[in-house]
Amino acid sequence: MQTREEKIISGKGIYVDDIVMPNMAYCLFVGSAYAHANIKKIDLQQALSLPGIITILTGKEILEAMNPLPPTFGSSDWLWRTPIVYPLVLDKARFYGEPIAAVIAESPDIASDAANLIDIEYDPLEPVVDLTKAIEPASPLLYEEWGDNIQIHKKVEFGDVQRSFEEADRILKVSWRENRASGFPIEARGCVAFYDKMTEILNVWSSTQSPSRAQYYLAQALKLPMTRVKITMADVGGGFGNKLNWWKETVVALAAILIGRPVKWVESKREFIVTGPHQRDVLWKGEVAIKNDGTILGIRAKLLVDLGVESTCREGAARTLAPACQAIPNAYHLKGLEVDVYGVVTNKSFYGAYRGFGKDKGIKFMERIVQMTARELHMDPVQIRKKNLIQKEEFPYEQITGYVYDSGNYEALLEKALELGNLPYWEKEKQKRREQDRYLGVGIGITVEPAGLGTSTNALTMARVRMTPDGLIEVEAGQPDIGQGSTITRRKIAADILGVKMDHIEVKRDNSDMVFTAVFSSRGAVYPTSALAKAAKLLRQRIISFAADFLNESPSNLDIKESVVYSKTSHKEITFKELARKAYFSPGPIGLGTEKKINHEVVLDVSATWFSPNTARHPKSTYTTFCAGVDLVVLEIDKHTGQVNILKYVHVHDAGTVIDENIVDGQIYGGIMQGIGEALYEELVYNQKGELLSNSYSDYLIPTTLDSPNVIVEHLCTPSPFTELGTKGMGEAPIIGSKVAVINAIEDALSPLGIVVTESPATPERIRGWILESKEEVE
Amino acid sequence: MQVPINTRINQRSYELEVDARTTLLDLLREKLDLKSVHRGCEEGECGACTVLLNGKPVCSCLVLSPQINGAEVLTVEGLMKDGNMHPLMKAFVENYAMQCGYCTPGMVMTSYYLINTWDDFTEEDIRKGLEGNLCRCTGYTNIIRAIREAKKYKDAGYWW
Repeated sequence: MQTREEKIISGKGIYVDDIVMPNMAYCLFVGSAYAHANIKKIDLQQALSLPGIITILTGKEILEAMNPLPPTFGSSDWLWRTPIVYPLVLDKARFYGEPIAAVIAESPDIASDAANLIDIEYDPLEPVVDLTKAIEPASPLLYEEWGDNIQIHKKVEFGDVQRSFEEADRILKVSWRENRASGFPIEARGCVAFYDKMTEILNVWSSTQSPSRAQYYLAQALKLPMTRVKITMADVGGGFGNKLNWWKETVVALAAILIGRPVKWVESKREFIVTGPHQRDVLWKGEVAIKNDGTILGIRAKLLVDLGVESTCREGAARTLAPACQAIPNAYHLKGLEVDVYGVVTNKSFYGAYRGFGKDKGIKFMERIVQMTARELHMDPVQIRKKNLIQKEEFPYEQITGYVYDSGNYEALLEKALELGNLPYWEKEKQKRREQDRYLGVGIGITVEPAGLGTSTNALTMARVRMTPDGLIEVEAGQPDIGQGSTITRRKIAADILGVKMDHIEVKRDNSDMVFTAVFSSRGAVYPTSALAKAAKLLRQRIISFAADFLNESPSNLDIKESVVYSKTSHKEITFKELARKAYFSPGPIGLGTEKKINHEVVLDVSATWFSPNTARHPKSTYTTFCAGVDLVVLEIDKHTGQVNILKYVHVHDAGTVIDENIVDGQIYGGIMQGIGEALYEELVYNQKGELLSNSYSDYLIPTTLDSPNVIVEHLCTPSPFTELGTKGMGEAPIIGSKVAVINAIEDALSPLGIVVTESPATPERIRGWILESKEEVE
Repeated sequence: MQVPINTRINQRSYELEVDARTTLLDLLREKLDLKSVHRGCEEGECGACTVLLNGKPVCSCLVLSPQINGAEVLTVEGLMKDGNMHPLMKAFVENYAMQCGYCTPGMVMTSYYLINTWDDFTEEDIRKGLEGNLCRCTGYTNIIRAIREAKKYKDAGYWW
């Protein structure tokens, strides 16, 4: 049997762009040339007369057939304002590239030719591009009916903030800005939609991370019952959260219904970057209450987040503001925390999910605070961390923000990282290299990663495991494989529990039939894994009890190995193949014991659901498990070019019980690389007109082989008491810890010049700027 | 404009009529159904569409079909033998050198060129050689490991 990996590497994977259907038409979106403009006129006449053009849809055409895009997390006006959003502009374009028309043609080339013939007359408005100016009363408005540009405003308070500030020896002022960035996997978004007249089902093959969410969006938008919509996942060329949004696809599906033919849309990389989900873009201003011995008592902060055009309908990343606040205390004791948080709309592409989903922001802010506290007190940041760390005896630990940390040993992780980092050696090197105009710095980032969100649809999960009549095992567990290794891990879990040979297990391709199929929130090792383990254990029991009946043995005498049920005390045994033959065909259910028949337990097919016991008991602990990582980086900066060179990288990780270490390591290596990219190069830059300048891989610089360090990875293990197998969700800690560790190291390297790093990415230009501005620089 | 070309693709000769503006990427994918060649950025930045043209790696999105007249093209499909994976591909799978897999065929083609070109190489050589192939999932660590392991296959005579 060919594995997923063997199939894909041989060129036999089927990504959306590989799907070809008879009579297929092609869709191309035409985007706004202005960031903020009223649309006065759209002239389609010339474009429509081009041979090979089937139809062109604009806001006017879709308005009759569609509902507005449904808010991802429901309409929640007590928390955020929900604008009316259609996937094509109705009257006012609100970001550069916002789709105005969808051209449907016989070929992509014809669609592209027609797009150039569409004549759009704009009435340009002043764009809103600056996060801080957007909230000034004089700012132009994106949604006039709101009266301001604030989609969310909430003040949250945890613990006793007032007391923490009363007990402080000093108050430290901090500021930290993360610029706009996103994932942009190598494959962009796409889908093929086809309305099947026979089954009366609208079928869509998609590069989505969540067929279930896509099914809901599409049914709502096109006014269809969900039963008439089926989404099947193609092979997916990377997600990282960027393929959870699903809105342009609704237009493609509508076109397929209208023209009665399959319609394909695969966007270009530029379209992906210009109209895709954007992330980060936060500005923190805060005050920290500290004691002279290094204790961090409390934090008061104001957080501004640039949500771009909106973040509730194209995708619900407005929600990321909650974990951004709740995750702040990270691995530390903290007495009080207050955050005044604003989600601000601007004329930029929408805010969507990207690895980290908000929790990253709070954690990075905290790790910057640790570094700045150390500097303020002339102490080692390691000392500050040790002074404030939650101790191993304190688990399960109820954080002031309501998260209940399952298990961990943060000090051991930190000690291990320090040991592997060999810091005394690098301290000596620091002095040596200074003489050659090279600044060496050490940075650490600790991350406690909340994983497996337990709110709304995120918490719905189900697994089904069955023995098919040919004696093989089929597994279905709502955890699609987009490259994060869930096919391998699902197979391993089932093989291990059932005692079946690995190649006797088939993992079913994911579609929207199963509740609730999705890759997000690092939920894999929390929700689907636990449901699968539960189902597999139940099927194992049932297999053994069936075998007991057929072999006339006591179930307690039986065990399973290599797809054979055998007696531990006699020579009796039965293969899965023979067991399935007996169970399904002859003698069939009649050959089973009376009790089984009376209880209707006659089929080797089991389903199970699972909900987090942590979230059940502590509703404020919206996440279930809390894996932890320590990133330690040594780097040097060339004073003349501002170039950063990573010399050593250590990552120590605790994800509880690990199912496949290679898969976990793959998540670690990849996450670290993305965090380094974000720390050093990746930035979505808009000009004053609201045009996106970094709209391709030539300008939005994702790391290459030359940027990737040799990472030393070490695992420690504190199993989670809250999941079926002791596993913890993982995959996001590395992108968080790596970014802030690199920033902390850069600041450490530049500390002789008195530089405080207040902004990321720390590009060579920015580093040069800081050096030039610093007092001690002498050219 | 239609242009007649003679070419060899994956060890097979073709006489084709191609539209002059069709890229090699589109020719391979849409006309010849060689779907290992992945559409990435279509501007030569990501390397997902890398194939070997006369033995050297090129981004097929930057080559126009008429340019392969008289030339030889190799894709992952042509690296396979009797349906079996090339030892290099095997090394990728064994070393977890792929996650989403979208960049993988392009990575394989560039790596195949590098391993065949160099008698010996260092990790630094691999990094320089693969700089034009972007991967967003793996951080490159396991890709580099796979190439080193593949070299061992080649040295042991397990190669074609």
